[in-house]
Amino acid sequence: MKDKVAVIGVGCTKFGERYDRGYEELICDAAFAAYDDAGIDPEEIEAGYLGTYLPGAGGGKSATSLADALRLYGRPITRVENYCATGTDAFRNACLAVAAGAYDIVLVVGAEKLKDRGGRGIPRLGHPLLARGNTAPGLFALAANRYMHTFGLGRETFAAVAVKNHANGAKNEKAHLRNEITVEQVLKAPIIAWPFGLLDCCPTTDGAAAAIVCRAELATRFRKPPVLVKGAALAVETGKPYFDPTFDYLGFRSTQKAAAAAYKMAGLTPRDIDFAEVHDCFTWTEISNTEDLGFCKKGEGGKLAEEGRTALGGDIPINPSGGLKSFGHPIGASGVRMIYEVVTQLRGEAGARQVKSPALGLAHNVGGPGAVSCVVVLGNA
Amino acid sequence: MVGITRLGVYFPRRRLDRGLLARAWGSRPVPGSRTVAAVDQDALTMAVDATLACVGEADPAGFDGLYFASTSAPYLEKQVASIVATAVDLRRTAAVADLGGSTRAGLAALRAAGDAVRAASLAHALVVAADVRLAEPGSELEVQLGDGAACVAVGSRDVVAELVSAASVSEEFTYLWRTDAQRYVQVADARFGNQYGVARDLPEAVTAALRKAELPPGRVARLCLAAPDARAAADAARRIGCDPTTQLLPSLQGETGLLGTPDALVQLVRALETAEPGDFLVVAAYGEGADALVLRATDALPGRRPTPLASRLADGIALPSYERWLRARDVLPADVGGEAVPTYIEWKELKQDIRLYGSRCEACGLVQYPQARVCLGCQARDRMVDAKLAKTGTVFTFTIDNLAPVAEHPMPMVVADLDGGGRIYLQGTDCAEGEIAVGARVQLTFRRLHEAAGNRNYFWKVMPV
Repeated sequence: MKDKVAVIGVGCTKFGERYDRGYEELICDAAFAAYDDAGIDPEEIEAGYLGTYLPGAGGGKSATSLADALRLYGRPITRVENYCATGTDAFRNACLAVAAGAYDIVLVVGAEKLKDRGGRGIPRLGHPLLARGNTAPGLFALAANRYMHTFGLGRETFAAVAVKNHANGAKNEKAHLRNEITVEQVLKAPIIAWPFGLLDCCPTTDGAAAAIVCRAELATRFRKPPVLVKGAALAVETGKPYFDPTFDYLGFRSTQKAAAAAYKMAGLTPRDIDFAEVHDCFTWTEISNTEDLGFCKKGEGGKLAEEGRTALGGDIPINPSGGLKSFGHPIGASGVRMIYEVVTQLRGEAGARQVKSPALGLAHNVGGPGAVSCVVVLGNA
Repeated sequence: MVGITRLGVYFPRRRLDRGLLARAWGSRPVPGSRTVAAVDQDALTMAVDATLACVGEADPAGFDGLYFASTSAPYLEKQVASIVATAVDLRRTAAVADLGGSTRAGLAALRAAGDAVRAASLAHALVVAADVRLAEPGSELEVQLGDGAACVAVGSRDVVAELVSAASVSEEFTYLWRTDAQRYVQVADARFGNQYGVARDLPEAVTAALRKAELPPGRVARLCLAAPDARAAADAARRIGCDPTTQLLPSLQGETGLLGTPDALVQLVRALETAEPGDFLVVAAYGEGADALVLRATDALPGRRPTPLASRLADGIALPSYERWLRARDVLPADVGGEAVPTYIEWKELKQDIRLYGSRCEACGLVQYPQARVCLGCQARDRMVDAKLAKTGTVFTFTIDNLAPVAEHPMPMVVADLDGGGRIYLQGTDCAEGEIAVGARVQLTFRRLHEAAGNRNYFWKVMPV
């Protein structure tokens, strides 16, 4: 698939508590921006992929919300749902369809309106007895506690990630949380699920993002310089890691495997990547991801953050957008939002949060936790 | 010889300082604390934990009967004994029954089990009694009660206390009651109840049992009287012809509170902590009449003494407030919501969820939970055999969650490696701060997980050893 698919347009709504916008309106905002970005007539779109964890009211468990929002009828539209890797997996499927020669131009939208689903955003869908009592922070905290126990680090190391991502997000007008914070604030925030305090956690966010991909040969027809898909891979591991006696809880095998496959497809190594948007649903997650993606050795992700190497001016900037932590995390939208950010950075259009002249960027989602991971590598043509 | 072969006692870990009750109601402070069930406990769950304590390392398949006694069963229709029997992994062919109605039902169940074994109708039966009785907030009874459970096994091999004789008295009498429309135990005139109920019926039953055993009251080493009032018990002891100061076992009221149906069985455990082989023990319980049993400690007792009550009562966790207890008992309800467990899922997964079996792969040996067809370790297909999981283990990792929709925070969630294999992920309960950590030892306990659609759902949790 390497270099066979190009991203020709991206769009993203303002992320946040979007009480002012319905689910389908958010889809419109993101898709219209992508249409304009590419300079494309929607009639040219041959197929669509909707990444969403919970569709809007009336949307059902299907892709009809995308069709209805954009009146994009009579075409194949597929709904993708794969935990927090939903958005990047929707993008990956669109790329596969184009690379396979099935369509020339495909629209990908990730959308989520968590605030319409009650205060906690995510209704419980699990087994009525087994694993009951789990929460998203609680599940990642299981890994964080084992990691802290093994590598002997403290909450202040995790806090460095939150401080950095809020600093980046403060520069980003589309971000949900735009306030800069201090290590002390992170440490003093109320505990949600030990060791995570409120400021170790990403917010519950509404938002949508869109990307339009096409066959690479056609890309020059459109408005902006194309960005090429170098590699995209998904890996699935157990969705019940807490029952797996062989799991060490120090990182996620799905990320390691998806990254290896994406690098192999791209013919690249982690050293070649100039910056990355990685899944920082909780502060520890980013630290572990930087290791699983190969930017440092296992156990050294905390040092990477504390030494400023993942900051905007560091040698491997991580989450220049502000990440899930500050930009927000509308589940199905996040992965497509990452594609939007990587494309924006590669084009040099990121303004105050611009990474210095990047050529290769990476987007990564992990959900489950650790059950599903998707890695996408994009590069300038 | 028919008698008691094993004993187990279970007390909830929570304690309510009686001073908190006095402060709440402006009443006269009474010293000490009482045992109180946690929000996830009821008579059913404590019965499971007491039965597990009684069965210990023995093979559950060796017990062919189980009687559950309680005045506070969480179901008025739906058998509790069968849930207890399933959770402790008895065979489906075990004869089980629920007894209730009176606090002497615990001892009545023991008498019935003894008769069944003596008649060779049952070989080895379990008798478990548990109560979480609720008194009117602010009442004197609220201070006096306590929560707990006890289980004894009755058989004819390895008997530690022989059942020598039994006698009963029954008569309509209104002292303590609760109608099907009432939540709190009601009390009539205590002076009348003690004088014409307790101090009349207990001596009559005990004297009859002693006569059957041809035993003079002076030969009784320990007199255990389960009565709603300590002074009434002393009066009864005197009327029996026993010395209340030397022969009567002190009431549990100060240590735990009056326990209801398990009271007589718990007193028996205490008496057996120190009894010598050949000692005669009398156990009797009051309730619209009385049941009395005469037992004799055997030579096997010193090698097989029950775990002392003191160690079962150690490491209590004091509740910070009276309100926390009212919340635990649903007097101040907590609406945490949740979905019902579909009855067919419960039925399909009974072995996995309630009997707690995982799978062992015959190809690679990995023990895994929940049960699966393809091995997690080697992907072998349909090579699984049932593997019963141990109820002890070590914390691999954990979190302390403040977000989950449960009635009480902070709530630990624990990933534990069970002894003998299998990794499990369960809610933690009854933990003091710092007790749940990587490497900590934990044990499984049966709890009410949640309530939804008008039904109660039970499952395992972990707590510190």
